[in-house]
Amino acid sequence: MLIAVLGPKTKIPIQFSDDSRIWAWSRVKFAVLRAEERNKRMRTRSAQFSPGVWSKQRKIAWRLLQLAGLLVSAIGVVFVATAGPVFSQQATSQASQATSVQHVKCVIGLENIKPNTKGTLSLLPSGLEFSAGKSKADISTASIQDIFTGQESRQDVSGPAGTLAKAGIPYGGGRIVSLFSHNVEVLTVEYVDSNGGFHGTVFVLSPGKATELKNKLVAQGAKVTNHVQPPPPEQKP
Amino acid sequence: MKPLTPAAFRSNFSTALGAAVLLMVASFLSPPSSLGKPGPAPQQPQKLTASAIQLERSDAPDDLVIPEDTRVAVYENVILQLNKTKKFQHVYRSGDRTADSVPDLVILRVVPQAFKAGSQKQREVTTVTGATSIKVKVQFASRDGKILREKVLEGKVRFYGENLRATYDLAKKVAAAVNETF
Repeated sequence: MLIAVLGPKTKIPIQFSDDSRIWAWSRVKFAVLRAEERNKRMRTRSAQFSPGVWSKQRKIAWRLLQLAGLLVSAIGVVFVATAGPVFSQQATSQASQATSVQHVKCVIGLENIKPNTKGTLSLLPSGLEFSAGKSKADISTASIQDIFTGQESRQDVSGPAGTLAKAGIPYGGGRIVSLFSHNVEVLTVEYVDSNGGFHGTVFVLSPGKATELKNKLVAQGAKVTNHVQPPPPEQKP
Repeated sequence: MKPLTPAAFRSNFSTALGAAVLLMVASFLSPPSSLGKPGPAPQQPQKLTASAIQLERSDAPDDLVIPEDTRVAVYENVILQLNKTKKFQHVYRSGDRTADSVPDLVILRVVPQAFKAGSQKQREVTTVTGATSIKVKVQFASRDGKILREKVLEGKVRFYGENLRATYDLAKKVAAAVNETF
């Protein structure tokens, strides 16, 4: 027995017997002819229809690719436009963090600055500068006699308005609000004026900033003596 | 005599009235005591005069540890309050060389005597504890070192406010002492 393979799906078993040899051969020939004809038809059909279909699909795909590219580029532009200033701000803030500290409270001691004024404390090559609005005050590094730092805590809700608000909470709820506090660092700078008169200034900064400024001032040449620091009042029993 | 009768009431009343009259007569006839009479006024210390004052920095005793921000705040607050009194033409700071030429300069020393570090949180939560106080000896001295006046003052913050508010309270009391003295 012989199996004639005429295509991927065309398998014809052929039996070579004496009686049916001619019939089988004609059957094989017929099957071969039919398979060839079918293949031809398929080729001509694909030749007739595939160019149009492929061109449409390619166009659609190309347009989709273009749209995707536009979308990606638009997202990229938006990202660059938004992230650029942020990065530049970060870069500038990192650069300015080294030289200035914002939201610093000058408790007392600067000429032309009212007590408890908030402003920006900057470290210049010549010394310290405190600016609050239009008023400014300088402390030159050469005039600094000593620098002290200390840890303290401040109430989260304080001041006259805060005190009134706490007093207005019924059933002593204001006392519970008073439990919330935050740590601050106090920077005390002692310096002399041109006549030799002693001045002292007290700044309240966020934690870590006072020590950083002190170290930088010392690096600039400010005088510092060794001190005995009393324990923070909050840690006392 | 039966009690609670009109006769008994009249007898008791007349006795009480007589005693009251006797007491009144005795009080009028007795010599006046020295308690009610205002004595001679206590001698007011003579006020000092000076055209300028210089605030000297004074170190605390060795056994007294005062945070430097408190000391600086006392110094600066006293300078501010001295200027507010307007008793002097000039208020000099410690170490100011221009004060050397002032003839009638008075030197003010604020010597720390005691310090108690309180807690703002404790004050606001408990109301009765956590007060911050600083006690100082205030000396008015002449240029040659003679003590002209001396007073002990205490600054406190009891209820509301930061610890450094005690220095403001103390400076106000120093200013009041200056107003009494000059």
